[in-house]
Amino acid sequence: MKSTSTFLVVSTLVLLPLASACGGSDTKNEQTFDANPSDPDAALPADEWDQRLSQRDYNYNAALRIAALRLTGALPLMDDVQAVVNAADNAAKKAVYEAMVTKYMTGPQFAQRMMGFWRDTFKMGGSVELDTAPAFAAQLTVENRSYMELFTATAGNCPTMDFAAGTFAAGDCASGAPGNAGVLTNPGVMKQFFSNFAFRRVKWVQEAFVCTKFPAEFAATPVDVGNPTNLYTGKYPFESIAGTASGGRIDFRDVSAVICANCHSNMNHIAPLFANFDGTGQYKNTISVPTPLDGASLALITDYYPAGETTAWRLGAPAANLTELGAAIAADPAVAECAVARTWNWALGKTDIVDTLQQVPKSTISSQINAFTTSGYKLKDLVYAVYTSDDFTKF
Amino acid sequence: MQTMKNTSNIKFLVMGLLTLGACTGEGITTDDPTLPPATEQPGGTTTGGDGNTFDHDNSGVSAWDLIDRLQKEGPPKYTSRMHSCPKVKYSAIGNILASRGVDISGAGGALSAGGLYQSGNNALGVADYSNRIRENLVISTSGASRLFDIFAAAAPEVIAAMPNLEACKVAGVSSTMFGVDAQNTAYCRAEGIACLTGAPATGTAIDLCNLTLQKATNPTVGKNMAVAVLMAAAHTCE
Repeated sequence: MKSTSTFLVVSTLVLLPLASACGGSDTKNEQTFDANPSDPDAALPADEWDQRLSQRDYNYNAALRIAALRLTGALPLMDDVQAVVNAADNAAKKAVYEAMVTKYMTGPQFAQRMMGFWRDTFKMGGSVELDTAPAFAAQLTVENRSYMELFTATAGNCPTMDFAAGTFAAGDCASGAPGNAGVLTNPGVMKQFFSNFAFRRVKWVQEAFVCTKFPAEFAATPVDVGNPTNLYTGKYPFESIAGTASGGRIDFRDVSAVICANCHSNMNHIAPLFANFDGTGQYKNTISVPTPLDGASLALITDYYPAGETTAWRLGAPAANLTELGAAIAADPAVAECAVARTWNWALGKTDIVDTLQQVPKSTISSQINAFTTSGYKLKDLVYAVYTSDDFTKF
Repeated sequence: MQTMKNTSNIKFLVMGLLTLGACTGEGITTDDPTLPPATEQPGGTTTGGDGNTFDHDNSGVSAWDLIDRLQKEGPPKYTSRMHSCPKVKYSAIGNILASRGVDISGAGGALSAGGLYQSGNNALGVADYSNRIRENLVISTSGASRLFDIFAAAAPEVIAAMPNLEACKVAGVSSTMFGVDAQNTAYCRAEGIACLTGAPATGTAIDLCNLTLQKATNPTVGKNMAVAVLMAAAHTCE
């Protein structure tokens, strides 16, 4: 068995370039490339990377195999493979391929794959309780509903999925929160990301739906707040969050190591909205998350920010409760762009956009972002648009 | 100009990665004498000690690893528009095996293809949602080893099953993996290779398959090796 595996490794290295879609090591000196007119990079001279992109050609059979595996979890049927092979030219192959993608996005296998995609995106699942958030996102995708329902749905936000059948049964989240707001009031989410100060819940929202780690906002001009080697870069006034000077028990205004406020200026204005959910994900009438202080006493609102401050999604986007937070998130263009970028990275086989910094330049996905934002944030349409894009079908 | 722009972006990113935030609090203690008190953390750190719960998650990408990646793979404007090579997801591996006639239940024993698949979930990088870890998308050494062992063990089942596989029929006609020429020598059939890989057989794949048959110690070993080689090559990447 060992020698067999060794042989397979060597053979795989021989064949891998055939199977892999990466690359483009052949460099022709072509002077033009097919730039997107709306691409800011288009103003720059074509470089070697543009030339490499221009050397790609359509390969609908390679695209079909990848699409089948990602959209259904299975290889394409040989009849499907042959249908693409037999198509007369690229236009005909494209038509056959697009029909196959449509077929792959119908049926239980697609629902199962979307469930898997959202479980991985949300980093939760595997039990009824922890599956309702990914099931809701999968349902929105399969039923081609608005992505923004993830933040605004007041009912039906905790469905259950019959995995084998690929169907969904409606269900409302019962966290006890005053009003439902999509996954923001999902008790499974609140349980999975329970932590001191509810910061893990805030981090989850930021990373899952904005596709970046904190800091979330940057001022045009950083300022010195007591440590000239590390400037404060946030948009909020530095004193808008708590420190020991304002009566808080944690010094979020500390500047001795790094500038805590660079991240916490936003985090501390969001976290109180999630702080009433306890460790089981149930909403309580008072703050129910601990602090890292000795004795793990519960957080106080004065630990987050001083009197006079209020909760908000971003500076200038106040949110008095989770319903308003959901509305603010849904109105944030960065959230729609993140949804497109995540879908893009999934289709193109990239690793996690946050964990591994697999950022997608806006210019790469500008047409998909435009279509997504102008047609009601329809998730299934987005998936189709990405899987039938030139970049997906060129190698 | 483009190079300068990319370099500037990288420098900015490095600075950002090196300045992740941490805060200090009253009443925070640590039992580890080798660590500085929480209120005296060295510049740039966001990590507390074992004795407190004030740690930040610093499990991001190393700035130097990121620079290395950008230099090797190219800038995001290029890499974002190219397919990458993620591992085949665990459930998809099971689907591929089952659709090619392999019993993945594990009933054939621990060293059967199904047994290796069933016991290989961790090596193959399945998710650990209880610890907020998604399924791994990068194939690891242990994952590749297990995957290749699975394909080696699966080969006899695949060869035997192929003529009856619905997934491999073209217009209702069955596919077979191997043929025999006029000199009674086994050769690889393109349709069989396509059935294994999910894409039309390339000339290189056919050549490798035939070479594997010719170099084997006996025809049975050669056929098994050929199937395993082709599946390993095709399904290392999704």
